[in-house]
Amino acid sequence: MGEYVLEVRNLEKYYGQNKVLDKVNLSIKKGQIYGLIGANGSGKSTLMNILFGNSVISGTGGYSGDVIFEGERTRFRSTTEAIGRGIGMIYQEFMLIPEMTVAENIKLTRENTKSIFGKASGSMLSFVDKRKDNEDAARVLEQLGFQIDNSYLVKNISVNAKQFVEIAREVNKEDLKLLLLDEPTAVLGDEDAGKLIKVLKELAKKGTSVLFCSHRLHEICQVCDHVTVLRDGQVISDYTKDELDMHTLARDMIGYDVAAVKKEHLNREKKEILKFQDFSVYMPGEYLDGLNLDVYQGEILGLTSLSGHGKLAVGYGVMGQFPVRGELLHGSAAMEVKNVRRTIEQGIFLLPDDRKNMGLLLEHSVRDNIIFSGFYGRNLFQKKMGGIFPVKDKKEIERYVEEQIEKLEIKCESADQKVKELSGGNQQKVCIARAVLVAPKVLFVMEPTRGVDIGAKEKILDMLVQINREQGTTIVVASSELEELKRISDRIAVFCEGKLSQILPPDASDEEFAFAFTGEEEEDGQ
Amino acid sequence: MMKKVRKDELIVPVTFIVFSILCFFLSGISFLFLAEQVALRFIRNIILVLALIFPIMAGMGLNFAVVIGTMITQACFIIVLNFNIMGGRGAALVLLISLAAAAGVGYVIGRLLNKVRGREMVTSIVVGFLANYIYQLIFVAGFGTVIHVFNKKLVLSTGIGVKNMVDLKTFKEVFDNLGVFRIGKAKISMLLLVMIIVCGFFVFYLMHTPLGQRIKAVGMSEEKAANIGIDTDRVRIIVIVLSTVFAALGQFVYLQNIGSLNVYTEHLDTEKFACAALLAGGASIRKAGVKNAFIGVVLLHTLFVLSPLAGRNAFANASLGEYFRSFVAYGIIAFALVVNLRLEQKGEK
Repeated sequence: MGEYVLEVRNLEKYYGQNKVLDKVNLSIKKGQIYGLIGANGSGKSTLMNILFGNSVISGTGGYSGDVIFEGERTRFRSTTEAIGRGIGMIYQEFMLIPEMTVAENIKLTRENTKSIFGKASGSMLSFVDKRKDNEDAARVLEQLGFQIDNSYLVKNISVNAKQFVEIAREVNKEDLKLLLLDEPTAVLGDEDAGKLIKVLKELAKKGTSVLFCSHRLHEICQVCDHVTVLRDGQVISDYTKDELDMHTLARDMIGYDVAAVKKEHLNREKKEILKFQDFSVYMPGEYLDGLNLDVYQGEILGLTSLSGHGKLAVGYGVMGQFPVRGELLHGSAAMEVKNVRRTIEQGIFLLPDDRKNMGLLLEHSVRDNIIFSGFYGRNLFQKKMGGIFPVKDKKEIERYVEEQIEKLEIKCESADQKVKELSGGNQQKVCIARAVLVAPKVLFVMEPTRGVDIGAKEKILDMLVQINREQGTTIVVASSELEELKRISDRIAVFCEGKLSQILPPDASDEEFAFAFTGEEEEDGQ
Repeated sequence: MMKKVRKDELIVPVTFIVFSILCFFLSGISFLFLAEQVALRFIRNIILVLALIFPIMAGMGLNFAVVIGTMITQACFIIVLNFNIMGGRGAALVLLISLAAAAGVGYVIGRLLNKVRGREMVTSIVVGFLANYIYQLIFVAGFGTVIHVFNKKLVLSTGIGVKNMVDLKTFKEVFDNLGVFRIGKAKISMLLLVMIIVCGFFVFYLMHTPLGQRIKAVGMSEEKAANIGIDTDRVRIIVIVLSTVFAALGQFVYLQNIGSLNVYTEHLDTEKFACAALLAGGASIRKAGVKNAFIGVVLLHTLFVLSPLAGRNAFANASLGEYFRSFVAYGIIAFALVVNLRLEQKGEK
């Protein structure tokens, strides 16, 4: 047993009702580079957070199963504890202090000190030896083969430089036993990614184990001694170095259970209803870069990408939720996305993925939620009292709400029940009922089936198709569930790193999708 | 880019200097008188202002709860007087008890502020109010009823409740007899001056220790600091403890210098004036240093000395002066906050 630095046994983790990790087993040997791949929501980040003692985990109810570090069963309660045991982590979004210099960042929490008062050096209250820190930092950066002036503030250096500073910080730790990397090469060019890989190999040679999490399949194939594929929180497959093959990995990662049900495709004339021209959205954690895309009237357009790669930014950009740049044409007229009210009046409507915070009035009843947009935005359900004063038409509301509850099979005690008491799937149905009421021309739907059980999923997808067919609504669905998109979409736009990677027909092969997801060139694999 | 930001940071101090020069000519007083007044006020207030630096560094904004530190010191003075311990022994005892109590209370406030992340400023204001009323309750109603009175001079003739004004001359004399020098008519105690220099150096030194680095890191991004392996809760508690202890010390120096204690009003608004001074020195609610504190106290009190006189001369009305002074204090806080906010937004772009 002693040869393993880290063993993970039967790890299970729930976020609320959702199982995000399901009996995950891993064993990492000393000096091994272990690859972990998986699509969005596969549980990679959750796994890393557990291993690193991140407070997110204990804050959401902890986990079950065993983490055995250096042969000893452990349960890290804080990152401080994990770091103390010799675990380091490199995050996708940098954990660097922008207002500090490169050297300060590298040496933070491990400063060299002068002992003026004769106290033991390393004490919290000794004077920081800046010169020695700078020398240390310079040495580490040189070791990494990266040139940068130590005295720059981190906020002023480039993204890939930040990545190297972050790596330098971890590598500089003397007794680093296990290094966790979450998509470290996502922001690096090929040359810099190569440098990083070289560093990882050297680290491994010195006996540090590395858990390398990436969606760049060719890098995984290049460096990893062992690869595990996660999908929906389960270990799908395990490969040793000789068995690695990009195609199999891609298939395992995306999954290949193609659903039988498909929407019949109608041949319509291609008339653009929305036209994106060099459209960029600056959304935190998600970035859309220079999108050129036409949305045709009456179609269902699927948008997909790995998490954070741009699929959600499209809709939120249109609805003016984040700063945008570029042009958006509605028909032939340019749209002013900042004017959200005008956008809604033009018949563009969005169902957000963050239903609880953005999409629903949680403390209000099912009825209020269903009629909200129609009543206040469209002046529906109003009758004139005494011929002058507009008041709510309660009878009409009642009839409509009951009809929708029945039609969508919303499981609730009554229309008076508070929406926050419903399950995720039923909440989503309420959202859809609300959208149906305003009869939008274009409907943006974000992750409609996230956190929704299988039965409700079908109903929701069915509803979307129905709205599209019966009301002629153009629907743009952003989802990470490729299977579902394939079933309902006319076309699927795949994004990678903020750019439109490819527009594929729903019957394109899994390989084509996998390559579009990762932004890999076709000839790389074929 | 860097240079431009620095220029922006000078807006508040420069406005101050311009305003002060204007007032100086309007007031028509001698420079020596001004220097003497400002020196006195500087000594009285500087440590209290230093107390605000740590929380700002840790990203907790202006700590309005420093007022609690000042109340602790006042309470200690009254209690020590009640036991009839006078002179140097009494002063030392007051210092000792008040610093210890401030550390304890600071720990509790720190724990509380950890529970209200992101709302530290408002919470500390409210906690300050609450503490004020508890304080009043103790000294208005508690003395002579629950608390036994050993020193009859302290309480009102009814035997219940501490008098409005308590004489601290017995303590002041200790400091007035130790290495005093004069600026104009003002007596400056070397002992107090040494205390101030030590405090200033301590803050500066602390910011250059590993603990200081941690405090800065927490201040700039708590989430990142936590992920790097810094125990942010602990750092924040340390910061508030330091701040409260400094406030207690600051009030000790202040009262020592004045020689009397307005039991029920002395601590009111001290925290606001301290904040105003720090902001006047070019600090922001995100960034502050020893330098800002020293410059700010001088600038603010220059204006404080001058503005009532200038107001009186300019409007030919004596009563306007006091209003003018308050207007200046709150005006600065508002002005500095707005400038800060604008700089911050600029910084983000």
